[in-house]
Amino acid sequence: MSSDLIALFVVFLKDSALALGGLGSLPLLRQDLVATGLATDAQLVQALAIGRLSTGPNGLWVVSLGYQMAGGLGAVMALVASSLPPLVILPATAVARRWLLSVPFAGLIRGTALATAGLLCATGISLIVPNGEAPSGWQIVTGIAAAGVTYQGRLHPAVVVIAGALLGVLLAA
Amino acid sequence: MRELAKIFIAVGTQSVGGGTATLFLLRRFLVERKRLISERDFTEAWALCQLSPGIHLVALAGLLGQRIAGWRGVIVAVSGMMVPAALITVAMTAAYGLIADQPVANAALKGMAPATGGMTLGLALVLVRDARRHGWRAGVDIAVVIIASAVLLITTLSSIAVIVSGAAIGALFLGRGRPTTPEGATE
Repeated sequence: MSSDLIALFVVFLKDSALALGGLGSLPLLRQDLVATGLATDAQLVQALAIGRLSTGPNGLWVVSLGYQMAGGLGAVMALVASSLPPLVILPATAVARRWLLSVPFAGLIRGTALATAGLLCATGISLIVPNGEAPSGWQIVTGIAAAGVTYQGRLHPAVVVIAGALLGVLLAA
Repeated sequence: MRELAKIFIAVGTQSVGGGTATLFLLRRFLVERKRLISERDFTEAWALCQLSPGIHLVALAGLLGQRIAGWRGVIVAVSGMMVPAALITVAMTAAYGLIADQPVANAALKGMAPATGGMTLGLALVLVRDARRHGWRAGVDIAVVIIASAVLLITTLSSIAVIVSGAAIGALFLGRGRPTTPEGATE
């Protein structure tokens, strides 16, 4: 295994371990990979879209990103890196269950969830309106509509992704 | 053990879109059809999973697998749910890669970017809705969200610093009061 792949594994593992939920690693990975030129926003968008169209937990979007960045080994690396951190819950519930249910820990989780939500808000906005590019009116409307239907939870995520892709083909081709 | 593997492979390969679709299938197979675990144990495991880092559904698969069949159950449940689904994800990514340079794919990407950005924003708002508390405390919680968002948009501070600060502020000041939903975040 090359040192580049090991370095990438460390980044994916760290960002998965600090994230709350399958999408929580998005702001962290974007900062570590896109801001440093290792990946692009286009790769991120493809990974997020495929994660929504594919089966299983939507946190598997990182496997798509890993594959785009480093092929089959990259996909395996991302799968392992995203599968290990959640399993911390097994020893935690066995040895520190009472602490997990304490008031400070509830606050820690709430603080992490709220901070993650803030980071996801900023990341979502910057994907709708990328830096240095003036978005078209239809892209802004698409972004707002996607946010609205996702919040409502009435449309299946795959439908939203496909609708976005079709709008792109119709209006940007 | 073979039945456990079958169930988790089915859940991993049949639930499209993740989140509630996967949770729904897990509950249907494990609680309603096969009765491998009680409704109460399932609900308690899901509540505990909200406390795990990373993908909560992996934590849930691990906890349920352990409860049903010990440590071997953990491996079977997690790999059963994740590996076939990851293979499907890779196949879809590879297929998209074949047409990624075509003009039609570029045009589709211009629509998928605001769609996925909007969905990310929508999920963030769901996270806020589920984690925030009632009354005046909701104002404090929403202020944390706005500050975290502004830090990422305006400054060059790392996201990790924002999350660690959020966790520390939470542990010190945000523990009291109930969230608006009992289970907290759902994704």
